[in-house]
Amino acid sequence: MPIDAAAAHGGHEHGHHDHAQEQMDTKVFGFWLYLMTDCILFATAFAGVAVNGHSYAGGPTGRDIFELNGVALETACLLISSVTYGVAMLAAHRQNKSGVLLWLAITALFGLGFIGLEVKEFAHLVAIGDGPERSAFLSSFFLLVATHGCHVTAGLLWMSTLMFQLGVMKKPLNTTYMSRLTCLSLFWHFLDIVWIGVFTVVYLLGVTA
Amino acid sequence: MLTLDRYLGFHFFTNSGGGNQMMYVNLIWAWGHPEVYILILPVFGIFSEVVSTYSSKRLFAYTSMVYATLAIAFLSFIVWLHHFFTMGSGADVNAFFGIATMVISIPTGVKIYNWLWTMYGGRVRYEPAMLWTIGFMITFTIGGMTGVMMAIPGIDFIVHNSLFLVAHFHNVIIGGVVFGSFAGLNYWFPKMFGFRLEKKWGTRAFWFWITGFYFAFVPLYILGFMGATRRMEHYNDPAWVPFMWVALFGAFLIMCGIACNTLQIVVSIRDRAKLRDLTGDPWNGRTLEWATSSPPPFYNFATTPEVRDPEPLWDAKQRGTIEYQARDHYEDIHMPKNTGAGFIIAVFAGFFGFAMIWYMWWLAILSAIGIVLTLIIRTCNDDIDYYVTGEEIASIEKAHFLQVTALETEKQHAD
Repeated sequence: MPIDAAAAHGGHEHGHHDHAQEQMDTKVFGFWLYLMTDCILFATAFAGVAVNGHSYAGGPTGRDIFELNGVALETACLLISSVTYGVAMLAAHRQNKSGVLLWLAITALFGLGFIGLEVKEFAHLVAIGDGPERSAFLSSFFLLVATHGCHVTAGLLWMSTLMFQLGVMKKPLNTTYMSRLTCLSLFWHFLDIVWIGVFTVVYLLGVTA
Repeated sequence: MLTLDRYLGFHFFTNSGGGNQMMYVNLIWAWGHPEVYILILPVFGIFSEVVSTYSSKRLFAYTSMVYATLAIAFLSFIVWLHHFFTMGSGADVNAFFGIATMVISIPTGVKIYNWLWTMYGGRVRYEPAMLWTIGFMITFTIGGMTGVMMAIPGIDFIVHNSLFLVAHFHNVIIGGVVFGSFAGLNYWFPKMFGFRLEKKWGTRAFWFWITGFYFAFVPLYILGFMGATRRMEHYNDPAWVPFMWVALFGAFLIMCGIACNTLQIVVSIRDRAKLRDLTGDPWNGRTLEWATSSPPPFYNFATTPEVRDPEPLWDAKQRGTIEYQARDHYEDIHMPKNTGAGFIIAVFAGFFGFAMIWYMWWLAILSAIGIVLTLIIRTCNDDIDYYVTGEEIASIEKAHFLQVTALETEKQHAD
């Protein structure tokens, strides 16, 4: 790990800490750039909904298929998980590793709850014959919501990897792991914000149409 | 989206199920037009480097070059509809995109003039890289003018999908990107491999390419006006035939050009001892890459270079602050260790693409898992960096400076 190599390396009196800090800043900045490109991906999926959102092709409309109660529960899961991730980051800044592990686990549970509800909704729609093949409206609905769902799943995988590395492999909370936690934090909050857009554009506007 | 349509029966762009084909065309060009500037802007950078080095003169109006690049980058996002004026989006929409397209010619024109003014009053050396650059300036300007013609929706309705269009984009892509890549190859080859590319074959390649280009594509402009559309399996208008033969002759000349390109590399590898670049600065360069040896040491610069000017090496040459011998002491340099992770992921990704094309789901799933696992295993490895010691740097730098000094002495003896 960079900081250890630097520490083991006695020759440099000036700025080990600065070096590691700079590396972390670069990583976080790079991750912001990645998030901006991810915005373009989501923008394309949103454009699909904007163009095809009313092309029902004789199939069901949003009003017919959306169960807002279930969606509200999903939204609650995701929003709460963002708060719990925030608590995990507070613990990380206090160098409290068991606190980080506990709050990451709670965050992951809420994330799993979100994914579970989403899978349930998808399975129900496919079962009643309203899968993505039914109409352009449903195609764009499935693409946007599933793209978001895949991101959340990837986030959960990332989270469990970090928990494994910190908990089982006993990695320290050094700059390497702090920057990873910070990037995942950005990713997780970003997905929350995208979900607000999905919730509004797909579900809320969908049932009024 | 297209993959989902084709593989999983989605209806984004289909005729049935409420899909919208024009959404495909809009999305592909909303991406694709900025992308053609991703092609051309880097080679604009190559030309700026080449033109100032071989004119032995500072790049004219550097700041305006930067603003022109930014303007082009911004405008590239609001012109995509000019690829399909014939969609029927109406006069107002077409006018907006037409004007936005024409406006791009202004920052591009700024760049062309800046390159010309860089050459003006300079001491121009006609090395192959410079020939490609001059060829570019002429060819690209012509291609740009036919582009402005097609930016007028009324004209575009006539020449849309015709050979005029084919001639136009080859005019800018060959005259721009291809010529630029050859310029860059000739310019930086010694930096990459430690020996120059042979000049004679490089010059021949240029002349075959540029003559061949005009023989091949000027007839296509004419054919476009005569109504020849592209992507046809055969043409049955006898009036087009003579122009087709001229274009074929041009293609033959370009083929000779490609043969010269290949020979240039073969001959250069054969004569690499004679063409070796021992100083690291074969063109009397102006920017920092020419301050290192060719090829550069794996740590790049032994010390962080001091930059006071956009042309730091030229600045150092003028001020006489270039180092002619190795220092006694170098600081250790923090380096990343090599890793095979990127290559392994690429191999898995290759399998993934192959599997998807041939509907081999088991292989697709396995290789996708392989990609993710490689990434996770890589993140578990913390032993990713090390330090090059100052002593090792000192010995590498000393060897390089000895080589340069020996060369200087040899030159003085020869004089």
